[in-house]
Amino acid sequence: MTQYLRDIYDAVVTALKGMGITGKHLARKPVTLQYPDERWVLPERFKGFIYNDTHRCDACLRCAKVCPVDCIYIETVGKGKDRFMHRYAVDYNKCIWCGLCTIECPTDACQHSHDYDHAVYRRDRLVYEFVDPKHPVPCHKERRLEMGYYVPNAEAERAKLAARKEAARKKAEQEKPEAGGKDDAPAGGAPDGETKGE
Amino acid sequence: METITGLLRGVLGDQLSPTALLITGGLIMALVMATVMALCAIVFTWGERKVAGFIQSRYGPMRVGRWHGVLQPVADMIKILGKEDIVPAEADATLFKMAPFVIFVGSLMAWAAIPFAPGFIASDLDLGLFYIFAVSSAVTIGVLMAGWASDNKWSLYGAARGAAQAVSYEIPLALAAIPVVLRTGSLNMNDIVIAQQGGIWHWNVLHDPFLFVAFWLYFVASIAEVNRGPFDLPETESELVAGYHTEYTGMRFAFFFLAEYANLFLVSCIATALFLGGWHPVAGPVAAPGLVFVIKAVLLVFLQMWVRWTLPRLRVDQLMHTSWKVMLPLTLACVLGTGVWLLATGEVGGLAGM
Amino acid sequence: MSDETRTDTAFVTHGWRSEDRPRELHSELLEINMGPQHPATHGVLRLLVRAEGEVVREVVPYIGYLHRCAEKAAEGNDWRQWMVYTDRFDYLAPMNMNFGYAVAVERMLGIEVPERAEHIRVICAELQRIASHLIAIGTFGLDMGAWTPLLYCFREREEILNIFERLSGGRMLYNFFDIGGVHFDLPDGFKEEVLDFVNIMEQKLDEYNTLLSYNKIFIERTADVGVIPLDVAHAYGCTGPVLRGSGQPFDCRKDDPYSIYDRFEFDIPYGEGEMGTVGDAWDRYMVRVREIYESCRIIRQALDSLPEGPIMAPELKKMVKVPAGSLYTRTESSKGEIGFHIFADGGSKPFRLKVRSPSFCNLSVVEKVGPGLMISDLVALVGSLDIVLGEIDR
Repeated sequence: MTQYLRDIYDAVVTALKGMGITGKHLARKPVTLQYPDERWVLPERFKGFIYNDTHRCDACLRCAKVCPVDCIYIETVGKGKDRFMHRYAVDYNKCIWCGLCTIECPTDACQHSHDYDHAVYRRDRLVYEFVDPKHPVPCHKERRLEMGYYVPNAEAERAKLAARKEAARKKAEQEKPEAGGKDDAPAGGAPDGETKGE
Repeated sequence: METITGLLRGVLGDQLSPTALLITGGLIMALVMATVMALCAIVFTWGERKVAGFIQSRYGPMRVGRWHGVLQPVADMIKILGKEDIVPAEADATLFKMAPFVIFVGSLMAWAAIPFAPGFIASDLDLGLFYIFAVSSAVTIGVLMAGWASDNKWSLYGAARGAAQAVSYEIPLALAAIPVVLRTGSLNMNDIVIAQQGGIWHWNVLHDPFLFVAFWLYFVASIAEVNRGPFDLPETESELVAGYHTEYTGMRFAFFFLAEYANLFLVSCIATALFLGGWHPVAGPVAAPGLVFVIKAVLLVFLQMWVRWTLPRLRVDQLMHTSWKVMLPLTLACVLGTGVWLLATGEVGGLAGM
Repeated sequence: MSDETRTDTAFVTHGWRSEDRPRELHSELLEINMGPQHPATHGVLRLLVRAEGEVVREVVPYIGYLHRCAEKAAEGNDWRQWMVYTDRFDYLAPMNMNFGYAVAVERMLGIEVPERAEHIRVICAELQRIASHLIAIGTFGLDMGAWTPLLYCFREREEILNIFERLSGGRMLYNFFDIGGVHFDLPDGFKEEVLDFVNIMEQKLDEYNTLLSYNKIFIERTADVGVIPLDVAHAYGCTGPVLRGSGQPFDCRKDDPYSIYDRFEFDIPYGEGEMGTVGDAWDRYMVRVREIYESCRIIRQALDSLPEGPIMAPELKKMVKVPAGSLYTRTESSKGEIGFHIFADGGSKPFRLKVRSPSFCNLSVVEKVGPGLMISDLVALVGSLDIVLGEIDR
């Protein structure tokens, strides 16, 4: 009998205590952020959509290799100094936003942005192309320096490149005094004939 | 009702026989009550979502309608009207289609005897209270029909539980109202309310401790009758998907929904009339009786919502245990206690001539 | 669905004809699916339930709806890359999964993780444990019909997720641990933020206890329900709060320490049958609540002793090559003991990687403990086991 009455008493008292807590919440301001009008301030490291700064990218392919789901598509043509990248695409149908590509990238071309709301109506719109095929990106360091693309330690590299060119020019000059050539055509400076592409 | 019939007679003169007048008057009253039920559903769905939201540290509807989503129920209604009407292939189509109406009608019938204001009662029956308890049992049949006709084992589970629960809790519900009848000496709802005039200390709830306990027992039993709050096992989402109304879509589902909220308001109105003084204000003369009544009932509805969002639900056997082994003895004790109290204080009043 | 319904087992004795012999009526069990789409099963789990009225006679769990071939993918991804797959096992506690895998590979490589990285790892793992237990508590309350504690728990979990967002950039799947350390260092103000959170968490736990844990209706629903005796727990390989709820204080962090857990002082809560029998659902639930307190203690100690230094083992090359051999390592995740059995052949990719998931073994106990319960109790049992299908199906 005592247990029975005790149970009833417990039930009522604990119910009332619980209602006290929920009652207190009735009076408090809710914690909701009302989405389109109020937005969460994203921290610096937020893993949003990945954008590739093609000015800095040199197609080292590390991001494509490290991606666990193979969502980065890079296509290049040519070899050596003539190597150009004409496609860099990130397929967001597959991307899992793990950020390994941004960690691997040596030139900080591949970076997370703070974008997150890019819902689309068609799946192929989720493949983001970053390179305009009409303006392929050079991959070789010398070509990049000449065309004004980003190279780490640009000054030092430029100096090295200039020194190399100077050495090659001197060597070429020493090899042809008998030809009587005075080709000081500046185009002969580089060992390969190159056209100035864009 | 008398007003309506009087009005009709005045307008139409003696063209209609008394029976036709009665029927027309009745139909108009039924229409009014059905409108009231629909309004309840609209207002209380919004209210429930807002109360739930604020209890849970969030807002609830905010966007539809300028201020805190007040037009949300309208949007919900438009959405529900646009849904496809699916009747499961193996279901018993007649029963399936009738069930929502049976539930709705069971609820609608009980509205006939609620005293909103002096003279504003659809049908001033001398058996008012008895009638209310009798007709609200029709809801149980509707629940069973819905569960059985759905051809879904989960619905059957929900319906069986719902029927058992409804039937079990009717007994403490009715017994908890007996002390009121003892005090008033009449089953007429108008008389019950009139007997509580004179300010808050004359209300039944504060009259004596047994009536106080009876009020809370009535409150708990009414939550169980309406399948709400800690007693919502028949429609519990986490076990039975949606219980006896799983297979219903569109407007049929809306009827269940409507009936649930209308029932909620109905039992609150009954509790107000029986215990909280009906249309009488806390103090002072009777002013805006309809408004006072509705405000009290709305407060009780708010209390029910608050309870629902706080407490976990009872398991079905615990529900039965609570009804038969806890509430029944307590209500019987209240009846006994009230009787003794009334004899002891000499206030066997209302029992004319006894 | 078949439309056999059950009829009562009854003896029809003499009908109106006295020469009627007593006949036994045939009865069948009601076979229902708590199917893959169900609000109460924590993920895509199918429970085939054969019940007699409200009482369950047989339960068979069907899994595999979330299988994503993660173990097979290990054979095609190198050691570092596969870390992101571990995130997706127990997606409610990814840091713990990362921790287990990182510890396993580091043991095989035989390298030492820098002190600072170890401390950061422990802080993250314990915060993640709190977040996971908050969901366990909230969804258990939801299964019991209490809608509100879930939202309060999610409100606290949001704070943890904000901390993790500032730390790693992700809110649910972090890819924060790496073989040999962690990817990023702590941002500014991290220590204060975490301390603030830990203080608030302990207060809120008192609120949860009043609202849910000691609520009489909740106790009635969960005490003496789904009792897992200790020998059954051992037989089915239950670990984590399920084992501890049955009375055995076994925790990998204390009994088989990894990382720097042996330096911290904390207790292991275990079930004592406070409200009913030892090993009932309430005990398992309360073990989780008390573990949150203990995690707060560990976090405070780790923050106090956080040293400066590198966050990545310096001797590790870019392409990790694990020497040939096999090793099984276990760590304590919030659901139980997560084990990684790794077979390496000296290359840059694993030869075979087997994951022993705690929820898989915990779920198996449903077959033994389920029969005899009512359907509502079955929901309580499954909720108290706190399973995550991502981990079970991998």
